[in-house]
Amino acid sequence: MLDGCQHRGPDSTGFALYGAGDAETYRLRFYVGTGPLAEKSVQRIGDVLAREGAQLLSGERVGGSYAASVRHKGPVQKFAYAMEHAAKLFSLGHRLEIVKDEGTAHEVDERYHLGKVEGSHGLGHVRLATESAVKPEAAHPFWATGFSDIAIVHNGQITNYWKWRRRLEKLGFEFRTDNDSELIAVYLAKKLSGGASLRQALSDSIEDMDGTFSFLVSTETEIGYAKDRLAAKPMVMVETDDLVAIASEEVSLNRLFPGQALSTREPLPGTIGTWSRSI
Amino acid sequence: MVTLDLAHLSVREANRRLRELGAAGDDVEILNPDAKHHIGVGLVHPITVKVRGSAGYFCAGLTHGARFEIDSNVGWGVGDNIYDGTVIVGGNAGAVAGVAIRGAEVIIKGNMGSRAGQVMKAGTLLCCGNASFMAGTMMYGGRIVILGRSGERLGEDMTGGEIFVAGGIDSLGTDAVETDISKTETDSILEFLERHKIPFQGHFSKVVNAGAKLRYTTPEPTLRNQPTTVAMAGGFWNAKTQEDIEVKAVTGRYRVRGYGTSRAIPHFNDIAFRRDILPDEGAVSKVNLAMELGSRSGAKPLSLSMPVLIAPMSYGALSRSTKLALGIASRLSRIAENTGEGGMIQEERDEAGQLIFQCLSGRLGWNVRDMQKADAIEIYISQGAKPGLGGQLMASKVTPELASIRGIPPGIDLRSPSRHPDVLGADDLVIKIEEFREATGYAKPISVKLGAGRVKDDIKIAFKDGFDFVELDGLQGSTGAASAEVIEHVGIPTLAAIVEAIDALREVGARKNEMPIVLMGGIKDGVDAAKAIALGAGAVAVGTAALIAGGCISCMRCQAGYCVTGIATQNPEHEKRFRTDVEAHNIHRFLESMRWQLAAIVHGLGKTDVHQLCRDDLVALTPEAAAITGLPYEARS
Ligand SMILES: Cc1cc2nc3c(=O)[nH]c(=O)nc-3n(C[C@H](O)[C@H](O)[C@H](O)COP(=O)(O)O)c2cc1C
Repeated sequence: MLDGCQHRGPDSTGFALYGAGDAETYRLRFYVGTGPLAEKSVQRIGDVLAREGAQLLSGERVGGSYAASVRHKGPVQKFAYAMEHAAKLFSLGHRLEIVKDEGTAHEVDERYHLGKVEGSHGLGHVRLATESAVKPEAAHPFWATGFSDIAIVHNGQITNYWKWRRRLEKLGFEFRTDNDSELIAVYLAKKLSGGASLRQALSDSIEDMDGTFSFLVSTETEIGYAKDRLAAKPMVMVETDDLVAIASEEVSLNRLFPGQALSTREPLPGTIGTWSRSI
Repeated sequence: MVTLDLAHLSVREANRRLRELGAAGDDVEILNPDAKHHIGVGLVHPITVKVRGSAGYFCAGLTHGARFEIDSNVGWGVGDNIYDGTVIVGGNAGAVAGVAIRGAEVIIKGNMGSRAGQVMKAGTLLCCGNASFMAGTMMYGGRIVILGRSGERLGEDMTGGEIFVAGGIDSLGTDAVETDISKTETDSILEFLERHKIPFQGHFSKVVNAGAKLRYTTPEPTLRNQPTTVAMAGGFWNAKTQEDIEVKAVTGRYRVRGYGTSRAIPHFNDIAFRRDILPDEGAVSKVNLAMELGSRSGAKPLSLSMPVLIAPMSYGALSRSTKLALGIASRLSRIAENTGEGGMIQEERDEAGQLIFQCLSGRLGWNVRDMQKADAIEIYISQGAKPGLGGQLMASKVTPELASIRGIPPGIDLRSPSRHPDVLGADDLVIKIEEFREATGYAKPISVKLGAGRVKDDIKIAFKDGFDFVELDGLQGSTGAASAEVIEHVGIPTLAAIVEAIDALREVGARKNEMPIVLMGGIKDGVDAAKAIALGAGAVAVGTAALIAGGCISCMRCQAGYCVTGIATQNPEHEKRFRTDVEAHNIHRFLESMRWQLAAIVHGLGKTDVHQLCRDDLVALTPEAAAITGLPYEARS
């Protein structure tokens, strides 16, 4: 799907995938790079894991990432922040893994062997980097820093970003980038952890977020979308008995149904939607 | 019927073939379209094109006379700006279907996305299913027919045209109202449906503009109108301030005026050349000022005899005679002119040796035929005088002739949208630029006009999106009409703008003049131009200075329509006072004075080419200018 709309973002590509997982272990994906510093990062991750009382079950370097399976008891947020300070942590969750790096969908796929992953749902993103550096950590999807299993992809711009960021920081939440996508992720995660349903959290986000946006969010069992009131950012979807697929452009959806005429739908402005599936 | 298979051909190659086949009169079938963008863009021959599947953005966009049949869905902006022709979409359409059409028949068998028919001028946009929200927003003419249901805010801020809905309306937009439908109108729709073999039974509601926002209510009185020289005199309780307050006491709203800022702001006068410059009468023949502009993408660049352009200024804001004079002067000085908003007039095209054609959000006067006649294409995002606002043209200037070129109702206080219907981010912009390149066979440079605000971000996006050059306009830049609040208080100064732009380009690793910046906004002579180039600009453009050379008296009333010099007016009596040929030569001589100043400075600094000017040649004269530019405050070299 992502190679279809690579013209929107040739610089980096990312995936948030939900595999089988299990409730006892966390999967952590770090970005450690490939240079001589990578070994050091892995070591530091090991040290901090030990300090946090977590048990490292397995660890593996794939592409520029380090994927660790970990057993940890206790509050996830404190643990996540500690690990996030140890190295660039892309994701943490029982099922979620975020893989993102410079390059096209095919290049990233090849580097990280994503073709082999099996799972229930996921998000993907291609990025047009207008800043100087094309950095893996600036790529999407974004993990809701500090929360298990929540990821987001977003197209648009949140104009009241700093207002919400300061509000959330005052409540003790941490941000690792200045990216508005991360803000939405943390915002939604906070709502969810407070007991709101994903539907409710998304509806609230339309009230609270100013600007233009089309975003997709995923949790361990659900995916959802929200679209701003001006419908400024594209989004089309197709729904069958077996699956729902949402993308910026139909060319991506076509990848799933080659050669078929699709009955697509453009979600209405100011609306949200959610879908759930248990594995 | 000839077959083109997009499984094997790129869209670019297929469109090239399509144009050839069009010229030969062959119909075409396109296989495996795979929802790709720009299918058919730029076709100007009356052939039939069948697309076997879904098409992406701007299918059939910027075409004239052809018939497109798409079996399945289309993405954003189907039929963008079609002059005349037919598009039939078998499935659904994405957002802004039929955007800016100027006379086509666009038929969507399924549903259509948001903001359909935005800024359309003429023709019919038919949706057999349901329309999403804001259909007909800011439409200027033509009709939209919706057989299903319409979403919210139907006809938001429409200024002309009609919308007919058979399946109910969720809500009306601002300044839209339901009215009675006449028998002739119903018959005309039924005839249209029958002609396209679309079965229908039912009744229509009709929605038109309510007219509450088309015109300003109380006009501005002209009391003791104070020119810019008074406004600039200093102090804030000056006679201009008084005039402002007195006018507002009558109208109760913001003021709309022309011209640029009228207060002191750090500018080129606050920097100077570090070394003595010995003027040399013969300097012009001793240094190189000539340059090419716009070759970054491989298009045919503009060829300039010196790094100076005429700033984009619209026919509408300016009289036809003034546009011609600018065209003639630019040709005599071997530089380039720019249409500005509101379309290209044929005489202007003929007079100007090189002409840039500007595309604004309202797509007023914008069309594929004139694109193909232009030497470069420019997309306007904003300008220094009014970042974030669309164009304004007061009713007194919207004559029937002007209205017909722009495709709008005559006699309205015209306001064009503050942003493009189909460009809402850097990613959309890439797709839009590509559409322009397709429509002009990748042969013409494409530039962007930017008002200076978040210059760094904007320049980085412009560089990433592949523009050939940028026209960057500082806070001081002029306008034909805008609210004084925005003219004076929004944006950053020209001096700061060029410094930020060059910083941004360095940060993204651009080579010097890889994407040249044409700087404008208060450039008054060749000395300013030399300073701008020393700070990193590739060239400069002059608006106000060229107008003053042509007789402008700086009264700041360009918006009013009764410009006494015949420059900023559409009134034939006033325009008579403008002697095109005389003023053309005045403007030309002024441009030549810029050439002499540029050459004298380049030569005086011991250089042979204008682009050898650099920051080391400059010093700042004030702490503010030093802070803005990073130039040394004292010259102690
Ligand atoms: C009468 C008038 C009409 C203008 N129309 C346009 C226009 O259509 N498009 C545009 O990009 N800029 C327009 N501008 C702005 C100029 O292109 C330019 O940015 C500005 O005038 C530069 O500053 P200067 O006048 O100090 O040289 C207009 C300016 C004037 C004075």
